[in-house]
Amino acid sequence: MLTYLPKRIGQGLLTVFLTVSVVFLLIRMAPGDPAASFAGPLATNEQLAAVREQFGLDKPLLQQYVIFIGQLFTGHLGQSYSFQAPAVQVVMDRLPYTLTLATSSILLAALVAIPLGMWMARRSDTDAELGVNVLTIAGQSMPDFWTGIMLLTGFSVLIPLFPASGFTTWGGLVLPTITVAILQIALVSRMVKREMVTNFNAPYLNIARSRGVSERVLTWKYALGNAGIPVFTALGTRFAAMLNGVVVVEVVFGWPGVGSLIVRALETRDYPLIQATVLITALLAVVVQLLIDLAYPLLDPRVRLGKAASA
Amino acid sequence: MKYQDTAVLEVSNFTVELMTDNGIFKAVNNVSFRIGHGETVTIIGESGSGKSTTAMGLLQLLPQGLAALSGQVKIKGEDVLSNPKAIAKFRGRGLALIPQDPMTALNPVATIGSQLREAIKVAGRITVKQQMQSKAVELLEQVRIPRVEEQLKKFPHQLSGGMLQRVLIAIALASEPELLVADEPTSALDVTVQAGILDLLLELQQTRGISVLMITHDIGVARLVSDTIHVMKSGKFIESGPAAQIVDAPAEEYTRALLSAVPRLGEWDETSMVAKGAS
Repeated sequence: MLTYLPKRIGQGLLTVFLTVSVVFLLIRMAPGDPAASFAGPLATNEQLAAVREQFGLDKPLLQQYVIFIGQLFTGHLGQSYSFQAPAVQVVMDRLPYTLTLATSSILLAALVAIPLGMWMARRSDTDAELGVNVLTIAGQSMPDFWTGIMLLTGFSVLIPLFPASGFTTWGGLVLPTITVAILQIALVSRMVKREMVTNFNAPYLNIARSRGVSERVLTWKYALGNAGIPVFTALGTRFAAMLNGVVVVEVVFGWPGVGSLIVRALETRDYPLIQATVLITALLAVVVQLLIDLAYPLLDPRVRLGKAASA
Repeated sequence: MKYQDTAVLEVSNFTVELMTDNGIFKAVNNVSFRIGHGETVTIIGESGSGKSTTAMGLLQLLPQGLAALSGQVKIKGEDVLSNPKAIAKFRGRGLALIPQDPMTALNPVATIGSQLREAIKVAGRITVKQQMQSKAVELLEQVRIPRVEEQLKKFPHQLSGGMLQRVLIAIALASEPELLVADEPTSALDVTVQAGILDLLLELQQTRGISVLMITHDIGVARLVSDTIHVMKSGKFIESGPAAQIVDAPAEEYTRALLSAVPRLGEWDETSMVAKGAS
């Protein structure tokens, strides 16, 4: 544990550093000119040159990179071109919205997928289970922008129950949450089912049955206690992935989160904003993943950190 | 062979049909036997003879919907086959199973102590938490596990196969067993550990007067522990009788073949090995 934690933190920081470095390079290789999109189509060459100088884009690439590395250590990644505010601050303002959507989605997914998966395991190979299985495959196959638009059409336009866009009331959270959760429910419920069936058929469960342990305890404590371990990891990893912004869903619902922010930053070639978004979401993903790994030995006594967990 | 009048287990015309991909397969065919108080009855046979299926079928632990049980199974005079709920009364309370492979027999994410206390709770004689803990300690001491307090906090993967089998015997003892079903209790263990486990079983059986149904393929084990031996082949008993008679004067060719399958220590005949290798 004493060597594990510093090692993992080091690995995490390296991951973040490589990610932001690659992004730094890629956005500068991609076509498009930040100065042009900032100064507008009618700008003269002199005006463009002035903007480039203002943003420091006239300097050689290597020098820009050195400046960027320096900025990483101060935590100030420069002014966003389009917001005219510190880029980090712009991202931090949007982050709570993404956190809200990710948390509500993962909670909904867990609350539906775990009971559903357990039900599917109990009714394994019946017609009802087959029907639900088909539904989960459908849920997995529907692209989220399409699900989102269908939900908008149904419950915001035809039956105006929820707002169509933005997050001004809690009702605005409902449709984006469902849209994000559908795919997760489809994937996680089938995983829960598979894990539960494996544990229902495990020798230790039948032997516990032979010593009079009730079916209720066998299902909840024995089977779910074992099946829950990989399911917890899967939910945690999915949550970490959502923190990078659920880009398509955020755009469909006009959700003011990090996902829609990065789309706007890319459209305007807002380099500092892109870099700040990538840095913060990568840091978050690494931290959440580390927390999941640290929680793992609490769930599974067979795992010792530094040996099996890092493998 | 004491108390022959009160049979702890009485099995008549017991049949197990398994649903397989190739149709219905009669794994156990019309088997009848009884176990008296304090008696040890062994079913011996090769792999696939139906001996383990008999044991698991009697305990109703075969997968539901894939195994059809018929006949009559009476535990202490009560028919547990006609009433599917009856078996639950005995499980963990007077009826216990010692499984084939101790390494996969315990919940991997629960401590030895918690699984032992759970068995004590099911047995229902002790309700106070503190007493459950001291009973758990007592049970582990009875199966001669060293440093008991320490072991109770461990998880199954931290113990060896032999130690786990002792834990499982302790869990079986928690139920105050009158009938113990031992399904090849030593076959998954190291040879050096087998004798210790058998000694322990014999000792507990003799001091407590537990009736035992022993399932084994090992004629040495059968001879050591049994009062009565039933030889099983293809789902049927082909020969039954007192242990000494079956081992010393087998009537059936199959039983003789089982007996001669036991390797014996003797002079090493190198010439025959060479001859075989050359041919």
